[in-house]
Amino acid sequence: MKTAAKLSNVTFTYSNGEGGALSGVDLEIGRGECVLLCGCSGCGKTTVTRLINGLIPHYYEGSLEGEAVVSGRNVSDTPIEDLAGVVGSVFQNPRSQFFCVDTTAEIAFGCENMGLPEDEVIGRINKTVADMKIEKLMGRSIFNLSGGEKQKIACAGAAAMLPEIFVLDEPTSNLDLDAIDELRDIIADWKNSGKTIVIAEHRLGWLRGLCDRVIFMEEGRISREFTGEAFFSLGADTLCSMGLRGIGAEQGYLESETGLHAIKPFEHRGEIALENFSYSYGAHKALELGSLSIPIGSVTAVLGHNGAGKSTFARCLCGLQKGFKGRVVMDGRSLRSREMRRLSYMVMQDVNHQLFADTVIEEAMLGADDSQLDRALEILEKLGIAQYKDRHPMSLSGGQKQRVAIASAMLAGKKLLVLDEPTSGLDFGSMERTAELLRSLEKDMTVLIVTHDAQLTERCCTHVLHLENGRI
Amino acid sequence: MTGIFTADAENRGLVLDPRTKLAVMITLVVFALGNTGSDIAAVRYATIALCALPMVLLFTAKKYKKSAAAGLIYGLMKAAEILLVPKASGAVLSLIGVCCLVFVRLLPGLIMGAYMLSATTVSEFIAAMHRMHVPVQITIPMSVMFRFFPTVLEEFSAINTAMKMREIRIGGRNSGKFIEYRLVPLMVCSVNIGGELSAAALTRGLGTKVKRTNICKIGFHIQDAAVLVLTAAPYVLWILGLTGVVK
Repeated sequence: MKTAAKLSNVTFTYSNGEGGALSGVDLEIGRGECVLLCGCSGCGKTTVTRLINGLIPHYYEGSLEGEAVVSGRNVSDTPIEDLAGVVGSVFQNPRSQFFCVDTTAEIAFGCENMGLPEDEVIGRINKTVADMKIEKLMGRSIFNLSGGEKQKIACAGAAAMLPEIFVLDEPTSNLDLDAIDELRDIIADWKNSGKTIVIAEHRLGWLRGLCDRVIFMEEGRISREFTGEAFFSLGADTLCSMGLRGIGAEQGYLESETGLHAIKPFEHRGEIALENFSYSYGAHKALELGSLSIPIGSVTAVLGHNGAGKSTFARCLCGLQKGFKGRVVMDGRSLRSREMRRLSYMVMQDVNHQLFADTVIEEAMLGADDSQLDRALEILEKLGIAQYKDRHPMSLSGGQKQRVAIASAMLAGKKLLVLDEPTSGLDFGSMERTAELLRSLEKDMTVLIVTHDAQLTERCCTHVLHLENGRI
Repeated sequence: MTGIFTADAENRGLVLDPRTKLAVMITLVVFALGNTGSDIAAVRYATIALCALPMVLLFTAKKYKKSAAAGLIYGLMKAAEILLVPKASGAVLSLIGVCCLVFVRLLPGLIMGAYMLSATTVSEFIAAMHRMHVPVQITIPMSVMFRFFPTVLEEFSAINTAMKMREIRIGGRNSGKFIEYRLVPLMVCSVNIGGELSAAALTRGLGTKVKRTNICKIGFHIQDAAVLVLTAAPYVLWILGLTGVVK
């Protein structure tokens, strides 16, 4: 088999101190091979993808030793723009990988940069669009697309440049299960047409049957290698001990009946009643739950397909949906939108949006008065972030930021905590810590989690609320 | 989200060359806002016809309500200007006068501006700038800016939502730091997105030495010709009026 990419004894450290340094990595990827890189956050799998597409050393700075050769060219000596036609990249965040505003221009962007003649570019776009069956998405504004649709356009943009190698860095972090299925089909097509594919991923289940080889990384080294078949027959326990997410975890998810079900024994301590939970966008009924009771102190997973009304439900519950007429009855008091906003708190998927202060302790104290300082320290201690109290919240890791947001909600006396996809992009260890934390909140808060993470649900949820088409 | 230069192909209505739209805009400024040649009757009529154009364009873009509302307001105000203003005096005159001034002169330009932004894509805009020989040193930063605008707006609205939940608002106990609290997350998110955006653009060959091509085809069609005739009319009539051919 011919070699598509080869790393020889590569050692790399980011000059900004970012995690994911490599030490002495040797890796040879054959042409036409589909390789999965997995491991905990910071194990260096993303760094390997950056070496292949040339972002290291051309964009991310650091000290590089050893040699990376891609398609016969030494990456260090090849300008990154010359690698562009050879390696196509798809990134994690659909919000930040588009240069253009409309979809057609976006797919054309790479080809235009290569200076291909207009007719050739149009021909390639048409072929890519037909291959991927995305005719519907042409000529649209990127800002009006869903996450899954954006990721398809990103794939199309890479594919139109006809690269030999595709590099995908956690492409499913922001996708729901339907979108993942569609992405899988796209990658399967690439594989069938003989392209080399390198994927760095946390979520593993969807790659079953797709990957020829699995590279398991730990602390910047390759510690184990598997054939695809051997890897996907590993038991859940083995994967857990390796710190990896399960591979069958997402099967069977969403097969339960709609409605609210208890999945664990739970001591009943009263209820939060939701009344008139219906909401329409214009003529479209996005949510039609009527009435519903959520047990106080429960941890409820809110499940459902894309467009089931999960996020509308969450926004209504937090008093954030304008024009929402329903109410919540808690402790015998009937609350309308504004009061709900006072008692509930949403931890957003991008938690960067909700950290405002200079230090962690100031952030936690934002909604509280100074007399609560002791309690604040106690809560930070409980959430395991006391040692960071004088750090800037933005300098923490994703999981830690989430904890800061939760701490501030607890101090502000919030009774209802809603989390939007709290574990997307978290590795097994971080997911487990989040689960443990959420489970420990039962005395203080009732928790709802909008999630598609079956492992998280299984670990910490007492109830499941399954929505479809805005109904139960 | 309907924002700046984020047109979808299906809802942009009559496709005009960006340069045609620019010509309409300039003419509206000269004749509707600047009131040029209003002493010549023919120019006044041509200006009214031109002022109706933005409403018609908006109508083709399926913004029926906006288009009808703007048309109605413009019609009423224009009628008031012609029928009431000559008869009114004192306070009534100033009130009606100011209203007419704002709506009759400003409204068509504003509607045209809104239409231009909502019905032009960034690629069309850039292609038009190229055709008008504007240097890339200006067009590339502008295209980045247009790309970034909606993103920053999205970030801003998410931050606003977060602030509502924390009860940070003007007049609250944190009002002193109101602006800081808003700007810090906005900067952090924008810098993150900017960094990732640059990385993504580099892997797609931005900055190669070869000359970039552009598949966005812009050009003048029959609809441009019709609009341009309407746009040229006030100028022609004005010149004819100045030379005394028409009144």
